[in-house]
Amino acid sequence: MLKEKFLKLGRTFKEGLNNFFYNFWLSFATVSILALSLYVVSATALLGITGNSIVNNIKNNINISIYLNPDVSTEDVDLIRQEITNISDVASVDFVSNDQALDNFINNTGDDPVILDAIKEIGDNPLFSSLVVTAKDSAKYDGIASSIEKSSFTDKINSVNYTRNKEDIDKINVAVEDAGKAGIILGGIFILISVLITFNTIRLSMYSRKQEFEIMRLVGASNMYIQMPMIFEGILYGFFGSLIALALLPLTTKFVSSLAGRIISQESLHAFYFQYLWMISGAVLAFGILLGVISSFIAIRRYLKI
Amino acid sequence: MIRYENVGKIFSGDFVALEDVNLQIEKGEFVSVIGHSGAGKSTLLKLLYAEEQPTSGQVLFDGRDLATIKKRHLPYYRRNIGTVFQDFKLLSEKTVFRNVSYALEVIGKTSQEINEEVPEILDIVGLADKMEKYPNQLSGGERQKVSLARALIHRPAVIVADEPTGNLDPNSSWDIIKLLVKINDLGTTVILATHDREVVDKLNKRVVVLEKGKIVSDCKKGKYVC
Repeated sequence: MLKEKFLKLGRTFKEGLNNFFYNFWLSFATVSILALSLYVVSATALLGITGNSIVNNIKNNINISIYLNPDVSTEDVDLIRQEITNISDVASVDFVSNDQALDNFINNTGDDPVILDAIKEIGDNPLFSSLVVTAKDSAKYDGIASSIEKSSFTDKINSVNYTRNKEDIDKINVAVEDAGKAGIILGGIFILISVLITFNTIRLSMYSRKQEFEIMRLVGASNMYIQMPMIFEGILYGFFGSLIALALLPLTTKFVSSLAGRIISQESLHAFYFQYLWMISGAVLAFGILLGVISSFIAIRRYLKI
Repeated sequence: MIRYENVGKIFSGDFVALEDVNLQIEKGEFVSVIGHSGAGKSTLLKLLYAEEQPTSGQVLFDGRDLATIKKRHLPYYRRNIGTVFQDFKLLSEKTVFRNVSYALEVIGKTSQEINEEVPEILDIVGLADKMEKYPNQLSGGERQKVSLARALIHRPAVIVADEPTGNLDPNSSWDIIKLLVKINDLGTTVILATHDREVVDKLNKRVVVLEKGKIVSDCKKGKYVC
């Protein structure tokens, strides 16, 4: 019984393969459009994932820096710190003295002799001491910022640098969301077109084998046996379409990464692609085959009389 | 074995193909169904191999109402019935051997079984030496023999032949009829739809006459006009 099933599976697969190669150019066109759709969808998904990780990375680095006037005493700093800690949703408040700030600045600029000279020229430390406030949740910064503005120590504050960060984050958020929406719409259209084209190709190969189906029915072939070659044909379209899409993806990620690398250095789409190569390949293959099988099912349901 | 009980078949457009048909065929019988074109002969046969369903009444095979067979079980039922048609229904790109073996491949027989059974059946129909030929290299009579071999390969209980001699010259026609008689002698029930008067007269077996979808006569040992 099992042997019989394997025999039938092998034979129907061979039939599917024959259908696939029977009209090579039609198959080629079908595979190409499937590859294009899979490529658009997976490239969008990859860009979306990286975009989100960039936003999250920035969000995790958000804080509110409160720059204090130079004349604020250590006792006052402790009092202010205490008051901020009491504001709900504040996770931590760290004091950065102006000396520390200067050290950090020098470290970050990498001992640039021009900057070092400039600082020497000023003679005094030009930076302010600050309190760095982090929230339990990035959405709570607005509330914390307004509490600080209404606090009793506003006269001791030189400046608060929260608003500028916020605008940048909002801009990136909007850009990522817009790109995601455009990707979903474009991907959806491509998928629809590719399913329609694949379904039509399978319908054509069904049409050319019309008499064969009639004979198969008459000699008692099971419905499954009649349908399987078309399912395999769909699987083959999906499989080869996915392979082409997977071959194109690293070229794109490399290109995008080299562009994005000039703006954001810590995230590389290309590195991400290779880190999750197996997972991405599996997902694209599974999705491609699924599209092929769905197209086959539509063709079978609509046009195959059993 | 086969019973048609008050069977009616109406196609779309209110075309009445069969009307109140009652017919019983016993195991091992050879029945010729005759009538003009459009009399309902093909429809009568299609109901038996479940290509069509009756609009009213029922068709029973070994006591089982065909309408109760689930769609997915129909292929297994159809293996009880071998079919032969006027247009042969052969696959032109397959050899004689492959045309016959195809019927075994689709039901999952092994290559070994196929290599044993196909030459045997081709020998019975007299085509053992033409196994590697393609249908377009054969005469009409030979093509019909291939089709008959394919119908016989499952060793069916019934052979349904719908105008099998319609495209053949008298000599070839008679060859095919002789083969059907031979198959019948071996115990297979044969139902032959034809309007070939000469064939029916020579056979001298049961004749059922259809006219406008109705059975107008049924003779045990009949001639074309019984």
